[in-house]
Amino acid sequence: MSRKSDKNMVENKTPKKKSTLVRWFRSNVLRKHDLPYDSASAETIETPLQIVAQNFFKKKTAIFGIVVFTLILLFVLVGPQFFRLNLGEQDSTLTNIPPGSSMMKLPKELRNNVRDIAPGRTYGVGIDNDGHLYTWGHTRISDVIDLENIPDEVQAADLEYIAAGDDHIVAIDTSGKLYVWGNTRRGQNVYTSDIMGAQKSGKNWDIVQLEAANQCSAALDKDGYLYLWGNTSNMDLKVRKAYQGQIAKISFTANEYISLLKDGNVAYTGFKGKGSPFSVIPEPLLQGKTVDIASTSKTMAGLTEDGEIHIWGKVDRNEGAIPVFESKVVKLYGGRFHYSALLEDGSVVSWGGNDFGQALVPSAAKSGNVESLYVGYFQNYAIKENGDDITWGLKGFPLGTDDLGRDMLTRIINGGRVTMLVGAIAVVISTIIGVTLGGIAGYFGGKVDLLIMRVSEVVGGLPFIPFAMILSAVIGSRINPQQRMYLIMVVLGVLSWVGTCRLVRAQFFAQREMEYVTAAKAMGFREVGIIFRHIMPNVFSLLLVSMTLDFATSMLTESTLSYLGFGIPLPTPTWGNLLNGANNSIVIQQYWWRWVFPAIIFGLCVICINLIGDALRDAMDPKATER
Amino acid sequence: MGKYILKRLIYVVVVFFIVSFLMYALYNLIPTDPARAQLEPLKMSLKPHEYEQMYSDLRREMGLDDSLVIRYMRWMGLYPASGELLIQRTDDMGNPIQGARYEVLITETGIGGKKTERVLRVLTTNAEGEAVMQMRFGTYKVKEISIPEPHTLDPEPKLLKTDSIFNGMLQGYFGKSQYFKRDVVSVIKEPIKNTMFINIFATIAALGITIPLGIYCAVKKGGKFDSVVQATTILGYSIPIYIISLIFMYFFVVKWRIFPLMGTKTPGAMYATSTEELLDKLYHIALPVIVMTFASLGGMTRYVRSSMIEALSTDYIRTARAKGLREKVVIYSHAWRNALLPVITSILAWFLGIFGGSVIIENTFSLNGMGKLYWHGLNSLDFELVLAIQMFYTVVSLLGSLLIDLSYGLVDPRVRVDK
Repeated sequence: MSRKSDKNMVENKTPKKKSTLVRWFRSNVLRKHDLPYDSASAETIETPLQIVAQNFFKKKTAIFGIVVFTLILLFVLVGPQFFRLNLGEQDSTLTNIPPGSSMMKLPKELRNNVRDIAPGRTYGVGIDNDGHLYTWGHTRISDVIDLENIPDEVQAADLEYIAAGDDHIVAIDTSGKLYVWGNTRRGQNVYTSDIMGAQKSGKNWDIVQLEAANQCSAALDKDGYLYLWGNTSNMDLKVRKAYQGQIAKISFTANEYISLLKDGNVAYTGFKGKGSPFSVIPEPLLQGKTVDIASTSKTMAGLTEDGEIHIWGKVDRNEGAIPVFESKVVKLYGGRFHYSALLEDGSVVSWGGNDFGQALVPSAAKSGNVESLYVGYFQNYAIKENGDDITWGLKGFPLGTDDLGRDMLTRIINGGRVTMLVGAIAVVISTIIGVTLGGIAGYFGGKVDLLIMRVSEVVGGLPFIPFAMILSAVIGSRINPQQRMYLIMVVLGVLSWVGTCRLVRAQFFAQREMEYVTAAKAMGFREVGIIFRHIMPNVFSLLLVSMTLDFATSMLTESTLSYLGFGIPLPTPTWGNLLNGANNSIVIQQYWWRWVFPAIIFGLCVICINLIGDALRDAMDPKATER
Repeated sequence: MGKYILKRLIYVVVVFFIVSFLMYALYNLIPTDPARAQLEPLKMSLKPHEYEQMYSDLRREMGLDDSLVIRYMRWMGLYPASGELLIQRTDDMGNPIQGARYEVLITETGIGGKKTERVLRVLTTNAEGEAVMQMRFGTYKVKEISIPEPHTLDPEPKLLKTDSIFNGMLQGYFGKSQYFKRDVVSVIKEPIKNTMFINIFATIAALGITIPLGIYCAVKKGGKFDSVVQATTILGYSIPIYIISLIFMYFFVVKWRIFPLMGTKTPGAMYATSTEELLDKLYHIALPVIVMTFASLGGMTRYVRSSMIEALSTDYIRTARAKGLREKVVIYSHAWRNALLPVITSILAWFLGIFGGSVIIENTFSLNGMGKLYWHGLNSLDFELVLAIQMFYTVVSLLGSLLIDLSYGLVDPRVRVDK
């Protein structure tokens, strides 16, 4: 008697110790209530499934596994809605950027104290009203070059204008001396003789505009003389003599530049001229009424006196979708794929490519009072009359970018979806084959069993990775990437059913001698019915374990194949092919984010699945409690 | 036991032929034309009809027009690849005739199914009255076209069969690598050594660690050390080997600079002695071996542990303990022997697995091994090379399964009695 009451007391106490999650699961899923109850009646209610679930949730590792896996699953299933994958996406200006979100983070010394800001590729550079220089964002160009290392002479100088290119910064001080730092290996700091001469004599060297772009720079004199220098191999860096002395403003695209002349016309003043899509200038801009020009990497825009905007060039990123303005446009600015316009009422409107929100003007800038606007690449900086700064555009990439400038976070999320999908379908295929063959072999035995077991030995004996590689290479060479994905699912499924088959067969051997099978036979059920409706439910629990563990294995195999280049082909991301090409010291060390993040999430995911599978197996195995 | 071994051997041989045929058929699905590839450089210098003729000759020479089964059997060495066509000419007295000329004719099916006869080669008999030519195995029509004076011309064409020379895998000829332009055997000689070297090293290292570790964990099951090992092994078998490689590369190569990143030898190195060469090689394969060992720790330790726990929970162990045997004897002599059986299976299965898995390691570390070669061959569609390596993998895995069966038979008497 005393023993029984002891037991009762223990039973009543235990629920209090359980975590909230377990309690919720017990009351809602298992319909078990943690009320004081009689232990004898409670034991009669418990079904095997409930015992399994109870055993399962007793394990901390299992709960950890299931929680983390669910989170990753949600992340991967819901994520693609927000992080849309664009397979064609790549941008040479955004390659190999480390994780961060500081690209538009103005230093506090610059707050309310801005003289000039130059938005660079992945960084910003600004001068305060005292002529001091600040940089922010991702300034490291290579191992040794960092734009943050501003030369001492620049720090000492009283800077007037500043411009930021892809990998270099140009500045000019009030005395007209030029400074270039950053990557100077492509002639970014090699001045032409014109510049040297002008700088020396001071004639035609009253610089009013300073521009920098892809490895080149430009300086424009007040009297309309244009000076260009830098890497001439990818840029049209020449000026037709006839135009010298007439240029009022210039603007760089990716490979060319265009000028606004003093007479209010737009002209292509470079040497490429005809053949370039930019040389076909819209008629309204040739009537002497143009007041401003701007450019993106592939398009040009001109603004006329009456506030009309004309866009030409290779318009493929919505640059041509000029919105309706509520007031007259007074100034025009261009980023890499978007335009921003400053209106008469002091508000800002942006349009064009909006991959990073660079055309999404915050309400603070829409409401007016913007005094000056600095636009470049993917960033916008608006300074209000009261000195407040408003920024919009690319802040940075939370997990960095890869060698083609693609966002790692987007690729990891979408890659996870592909990997999980392939793994899941492969498991379904292998389970269907395994259960069918194993069931038949186990139930009928004899010659059928012998045949199936021999076949399974052959399949199981094949070296898996090489065989999957050859299948993928041979069949995959003549189908499109989408079909290739299905092919990988089928290959994985068809090559990995052996384990399931053996498991099911062994279970069937044991089950078919049981009384309930004899009873079913006696009642005249069809054999197919007995296999699938009577025996299968009893095998199901073990099957579930093997499916869970197989799911992890399938994901591993898929990623391995993709890593070797015989799985899902690029550019479709998977957790495997994200690591393709990571095995060199440069990537391992310098671009660590390209392999560390996919590796972490993938490893974590597989670990969780294995934890769940192990815990399930232990929960179902009566011996497990002894171990 | 003898009968059992024989049965398994026959089974292995049958499976070998089935798998090799499947592989051959599968690889034949690739739309390649080695004859055209070989003629491509000559294409500009030939007239169209000359080119077509050379092309069809080459196809015949390579045996590309035969049926799949014949090609397979020839590749395997079960069907003659070539043979000597022997023409003998004697007069009525049986004396050899020298200088008789013969045309070897072949029938071609041209465009539109039109059959034409074409002279393939003209042969002249020697002093023994014989003309010999090495040709693709088959039957050829031979016609006499001229004969020295006193003899009379025999205008009736004759059908002559070549004798048979087998030249396939079973004879040790694995074909020619199209990429390397060398015999496959010579191409794979060095890689096969490297792969074996690495895998055997990794196996020894892994077994040396996992077996004692597994036993220790089983004996001290539930303890702190056991829990730590259990947690780490989950890591070990969940993380794919290439990620483990990257992590190890980061620490051992990039950060601490202990090992070289890639390759099997220092580029451009000249060795004074063979010991030096060996040391350099060991230095290069050290990291891959460490990674392979580490990656296999997880699965193997768990196997050993669980089968050891199983064995330790049996009645005979309780009996042994009750008898008052020392714990060491109980563990190593009673429990371990019985735990060995499932372990053997998994060890061998795993040993085979690492052969397949070495594709990944060899590619990651750019080691000159079979896996790297296989990857390379698949990427460059090098037909014969890939097939030869695939056969290597198949043979290794079949021998492995044979070994599993045999060791089972050795360790567990019930197996060989049953069957």
